[in-house]
Amino acid sequence: MANARQISVFVDNRPNQLAGVMRLIKDKGINVRALSLADTKDFGILRLIANDTDKTVDTLKEAGYPVTVTEIVAISIPDTPGQLSRALDVLGGEGVNLEYLYAFLGKSDRSVSFVIRVDDVENASAALNKAGIIQLTENDISEM
Amino acid sequence: MERYWNQEMECASPEVMKKLQDERLVAQVKHVYENVKYYRDLMDEKGVKPEDIKGTEDLRKLPFLSKADLRDAYPFGLLAKPLSECVRIHSTSGTTGRRVVAFYTQNDIDLWDECCARAITAAGGTNEDVCQVAYGFGLFTGGAGLNGGSHTVGCLTLPMSSGNTDRQIQFMQDLGATILCCTPSYAAYIGETIHEMGISPDDLKLKAGIFGAEPWTEEMRRSIEKSLGIKAYDIYGLTEISGPGVAFECSEQNGMHINEDNFIAEIIDPETGEPLPDGEVGELVFTSITKEAFPLLRYRTRDLCRLTRGKCSCGRTLVKMAKPMGRSDDMMIIRGVNVFPSQIETVLIEQGYSPNYLIEVDRVNNSDTLDISVEMNPDQFSDKVKDMQKQERELAEAIKTMLGINPKVHLVSPKSITRSEGKAVRVIDRRKLHD
Repeated sequence: MANARQISVFVDNRPNQLAGVMRLIKDKGINVRALSLADTKDFGILRLIANDTDKTVDTLKEAGYPVTVTEIVAISIPDTPGQLSRALDVLGGEGVNLEYLYAFLGKSDRSVSFVIRVDDVENASAALNKAGIIQLTENDISEM
Repeated sequence: MERYWNQEMECASPEVMKKLQDERLVAQVKHVYENVKYYRDLMDEKGVKPEDIKGTEDLRKLPFLSKADLRDAYPFGLLAKPLSECVRIHSTSGTTGRRVVAFYTQNDIDLWDECCARAITAAGGTNEDVCQVAYGFGLFTGGAGLNGGSHTVGCLTLPMSSGNTDRQIQFMQDLGATILCCTPSYAAYIGETIHEMGISPDDLKLKAGIFGAEPWTEEMRRSIEKSLGIKAYDIYGLTEISGPGVAFECSEQNGMHINEDNFIAEIIDPETGEPLPDGEVGELVFTSITKEAFPLLRYRTRDLCRLTRGKCSCGRTLVKMAKPMGRSDDMMIIRGVNVFPSQIETVLIEQGYSPNYLIEVDRVNNSDTLDISVEMNPDQFSDKVKDMQKQERELAEAIKTMLGINPKVHLVSPKSITRSEGKAVRVIDRRKLHD
């Protein structure tokens, strides 16, 4: 199955930097589905999943932003206690190392979605699949 | 085949050059003593008379001149000719105090033009060439010097001055410029812009560049050569002595030949003022032996470098000066360690970063801090914070190995550090503001 692609953008740690990125995206009519900002004292790394990955990458690159695209795992799990813990146990049990994760709005109010950045997407995906955890493709996310 | 503008001088035997220098020095000391009260007073104070100077070996008897003297004597105190015989002035940028103004007679201009003509010829220039002069014009000597040299050689000269980079590139393409003259930081910027515009070096006729007026590294040379598809030559000069062309590089690209028939170079110990033997690093001191209007004797440049003698593979016998390690005013003392911006630049280029950087020095709780903002390399960008922080750490480590002190490295966006069209501002020393 095809996993989703995440776009990461390098932004300076100064006023109006994130706003500048979002303005560009808005002007192209791109919809951001999921987003997280990692910050250090010098710079930020904005990670996002958009409804049109290629167009977003082209737009940002053209504007001179350093951009990188990485494959991630996106899951949709029931909004009940213990579900994330279960999914993480599955990954931990396979020895998959997790770099970071963030939640985003899912399709229904009874489920919740996460972007999970792992070192071994293939292994993670197979393990989640075997455990019956729903994974979202790039297409799924863009149609949300 | 190596070409010379003035083979007789550029390839003179040491004996011939020594004899010429001796004659010119003796006459120059007499001219200065008779016409410049400021220097006559210095000589009298030291008990030296013009008759005591019989040749270059007596040079060490003469008093030094420093930038402070030039400021004291501003504006006419070191003038050696009546103003009616002077045709032009040039001036230093005056960032560190009162400006210094230098005067030129027509003969001074002609000799200066010849020095620049030698530099252009050494870079392969002939009257078939189209020479784009993108140094600033005006009080700054860069534009005027190379412009004059280019005219003397008979190149088609494009007196662009610096700035308006789009127009620089358009003229470069439309008029088929073959030689570019500007500061190395501006050359790097033009190279970068050309690539952004999707122009390949193969689309240009450029073959050589003559870059100077600020310190630059060997790594930066290679990077400019690659981005513009040229051979890059260094040129050295200073307004006080004439301007660019005091020394120039040949095809060997390993040190600059000093136009010794006009300028005698010495290396001294900057602490004691004692002359040092060839090959040792010290402060470069120049004595103008042909300048008429503003003839400085034993002027301390504050540039640190070494001299090497012997016939060069290009055939020139003119003494060579190594690329200055930095002007002693560029040198920062941080936590007791001497630091030159050029050292940091070397590390950046070695590690694959852009040579655009900003050094900020401050003093916090009586301890010096060194912060270096570096443009991140987009090819090395990772979505993982730890990878990016690792890049910062590795760069800080490499700089520490070079300097011996620990800097803080801050990665910033590409192109976010202001590009310079003239001399680049690389250092902000906030410690001076507290004093």
